[in-house]
Amino acid sequence: MIDESTARAILSEAQKSGADYAELFLEDRENNLAEMLDGKVESANYTRICGAGVRVLKGTLSAYAYSADTSKQALLDTARAAAAALGEAKFSPGGSVAFSMKRYGTKVERAFDAIGNADRVRLMREAALAARGVSDEVTQIHVRYGDSTQRVTIVSTDGVFAFDERPRTRLFVRAVAMKNGEAQTGFEGPGCCRGFEAYRDSIDAAETGRIAAEMAVTMLHAPECPAGYLPVVIDGGFGGVIFHEACGHSLEATSVGRNNSVFCGKLNTKIAADCVSAVDDGTMPGEWGSINIDDEGTPGQRNVLIENGILKGYLIDKLGSRRMGMPITGSSRRQGYMFAPTSRMTNTFICEGTDSEEEMIATMGEGLFARKMGGGSVNPPTGEFNFSVAEGYWVKNGKIVSPVRGATLIGKGSEVLKLIDRVGPKMWMSQGMCGSLSGSVPTNVGQPRIRVSGMTIGGKGGAIE
Amino acid sequence: MTNAEFSKLAAAYAKEAGCENCETFYANGESFEVNANGGEIDRYSVSREAGVSVRVSYQGRDGYAYTERIEEPEKLVDHAIDNAKCIETDDLHPMQGKSEYRTIDRRPSALAPLSEQERIALAKRMEEVALAEDPRVKRVVYCTVAYEAGRVAIENTRGLNAAKESDVSYTYVMPSVQDGDEVQTGFAFRMGANAADVEGCAKEAVADALNKLGAKPVESGEYRVLFRPYAICDLLTAFSPMLSADEAQKGCSLLAGKEGQSVASGLVTITDDPFDAIAPRAFDGEGTPSVKKPVVENGTLRTLLHNLKTAAKAGVESTGNASRISAASTVGVAPTVLRIEPGEKSPEALVAEMKDGLIIVELEGLHAGVDTISGDFSLKAAGLLVKDGAIARPVSGITVAGNFISLMKNVSAIGNDLKYALPTGGYFASPSLVVAKLSVAGS
Repeated sequence: MIDESTARAILSEAQKSGADYAELFLEDRENNLAEMLDGKVESANYTRICGAGVRVLKGTLSAYAYSADTSKQALLDTARAAAAALGEAKFSPGGSVAFSMKRYGTKVERAFDAIGNADRVRLMREAALAARGVSDEVTQIHVRYGDSTQRVTIVSTDGVFAFDERPRTRLFVRAVAMKNGEAQTGFEGPGCCRGFEAYRDSIDAAETGRIAAEMAVTMLHAPECPAGYLPVVIDGGFGGVIFHEACGHSLEATSVGRNNSVFCGKLNTKIAADCVSAVDDGTMPGEWGSINIDDEGTPGQRNVLIENGILKGYLIDKLGSRRMGMPITGSSRRQGYMFAPTSRMTNTFICEGTDSEEEMIATMGEGLFARKMGGGSVNPPTGEFNFSVAEGYWVKNGKIVSPVRGATLIGKGSEVLKLIDRVGPKMWMSQGMCGSLSGSVPTNVGQPRIRVSGMTIGGKGGAIE
Repeated sequence: MTNAEFSKLAAAYAKEAGCENCETFYANGESFEVNANGGEIDRYSVSREAGVSVRVSYQGRDGYAYTERIEEPEKLVDHAIDNAKCIETDDLHPMQGKSEYRTIDRRPSALAPLSEQERIALAKRMEEVALAEDPRVKRVVYCTVAYEAGRVAIENTRGLNAAKESDVSYTYVMPSVQDGDEVQTGFAFRMGANAADVEGCAKEAVADALNKLGAKPVESGEYRVLFRPYAICDLLTAFSPMLSADEAQKGCSLLAGKEGQSVASGLVTITDDPFDAIAPRAFDGEGTPSVKKPVVENGTLRTLLHNLKTAAKAGVESTGNASRISAASTVGVAPTVLRIEPGEKSPEALVAEMKDGLIIVELEGLHAGVDTISGDFSLKAAGLLVKDGAIARPVSGITVAGNFISLMKNVSAIGNDLKYALPTGGYFASPSLVVAKLSVAGS
């Protein structure tokens, strides 16, 4: 860990061109990644990512420099490179910052550097065997296991001097089912912010393999999804990606602070149906998207985004706060030292409602039940989104009649929020990696089962009888 | 510790620890990126990166470890041996021996000689031009100028000693235009030798945005479709894993075992060209000399793409397609510069010939709406409606769905307008392609 006087020297160097804020981010991260194909370990890799980034702000101007070399000389050079973007180095910052030293960290029972590859392989094999047992049609099982321990030190002229240790692990199974030259894929990828004990306490490896394989087999027997504008029921868990993509990104200061969001200037106005409340909560213990502190050193927070249809808040980092004139929300994140931090989501979900999960399908007439979503993307200025349905079922006269493959949902976030007419009573979350300006960060998406009264469904199938 | 010292110590320690062979892959680089917004610098990033990966061959198995702290090579080798010990596949992964390479005539890209101040000025100029181009331009979402340079050195105990340099310059801009309540965004980029053409880039992006105003869906149905080059490049990028022998050997490609068979329309030739002037390279990610070859020739699959491991398994020669996504990643398979060869006709002639149909200009959701195993895609698209051989109006809010192999088989005409896409990991190029029919979901 860097000492106080070195940190002070670096921040001072960074402010020499007139920056009113400087921040140092030091990272030392160890990752283990292993892959198993059809029951045999195929590759194993260990990577250690080490480096530092210096960011300076002057009003709403920002500059970032980073280097893999963390020697004092290299850090000073990095600070100079960041400062150079703001002009000549002719200021000598006055005063002395009083640092508030804080040590954070997630407690683990079984640290990743204390377990061996044998533990990792045993877990992967358990998932692979369970997937194999689902059906003879499963032709391939790909298991990925990853764990990482990220140690960061964040020092800034705001007085932050924080150390944090962040363990994360994830097991991901992709199963392929094949028949008559046709192939379909299923996947499941639970993860959390805990040590290896997670696989004893909260993640069931065998269940993970089974879910992936069953999904592939189901989709192998599914006809193509018909296209049209119809009601859609979206299940909980990864179904929350609709909110993440269509609304969450548009509530980030990255979009709002630049007037690139449909939700600009809409605070305390109605943007969603009455039954919709939504939250971004970085404080949920052990969750994949949780943070002890964000990457500017601010402790994680529970941020209410929407309450009974009314927009209540945005996700704001320090730079966004300057642009928007609003307080920070503990939402500043980055993949690592190679990225300047910016406003990002953590665990983002639609809150539980009161509607029956069965009734919303029984009364929908004809439409799509999207049990599991794939990924998606959104264009923040217009709010247009699209995402794929990984496991879908066609509903006719309020009854599920057939699985369907190849469906996509497209629409506008601001419109879909108003068309949600049912929200179920039980919320759950799924894990994902979210890519944006500051790289790829782990996030949870979640929601209860919900219904949208009408959405454009893309697909290439004919009518389902 | 220098890279050379690190390599030497790693190799000596690996031999002592019982490894048959040891390889180090060293990469370093610098990058510069600036984004202009409202006449100011709004994102600015400069960097220096360096890292080294060790790959050992231990009792016939491969183990990897990577670090950005270039110290303690012994520890890294131990991690690599640990990883080799848990490998259970019997596939051999030979290391490349001493090789001769073709001399590459590489010209530095356009932004290489410019100072940081000059690059910043280009970004500001690009925004200025975009804003002045039309009163409906309200702001730029992105307005970025970027330059990256890198070096790679691979050394191993079989005598391999290969080093190369590369650099890339690019600029891109996304203006946002507003007409009444309607908002549209446009996009354009320049790269390589043209990267400093920020005025042309800004004007093209504004035109792209304005052309979308008034866009609405078409009726759902089957359409004759002309894909513009960048839309095809996106599909080619997404589906290029199908050409990987690694994916094929894992049972993840429908092209497995299809060498010598028809996989596309006879009009289609796809070349993997590591010497293409856009990004020439003498050797691949494991030091194998580069080879230019047709992958699909007049519709027939000639070869899948191999590295030394997949080639050994298939009993063929490596095609020089070993990839390292980064020094931290393991050796995989990827195209070098993958190019669909252009035809004779101008894009205007193709539009006139198609009479009624749809032009697909851009596709979205590529990371989600494609299944590289089945070849299926279902993607949000925007483009233009064609009536009586002329462009009638802009189209948006539609999805196009199909299968990549079927699409390649249905190619009925190819344009002469070869374009290189903005690289996202690899280089892809294509002209406009016309396909006889494609399913479109709209209103």
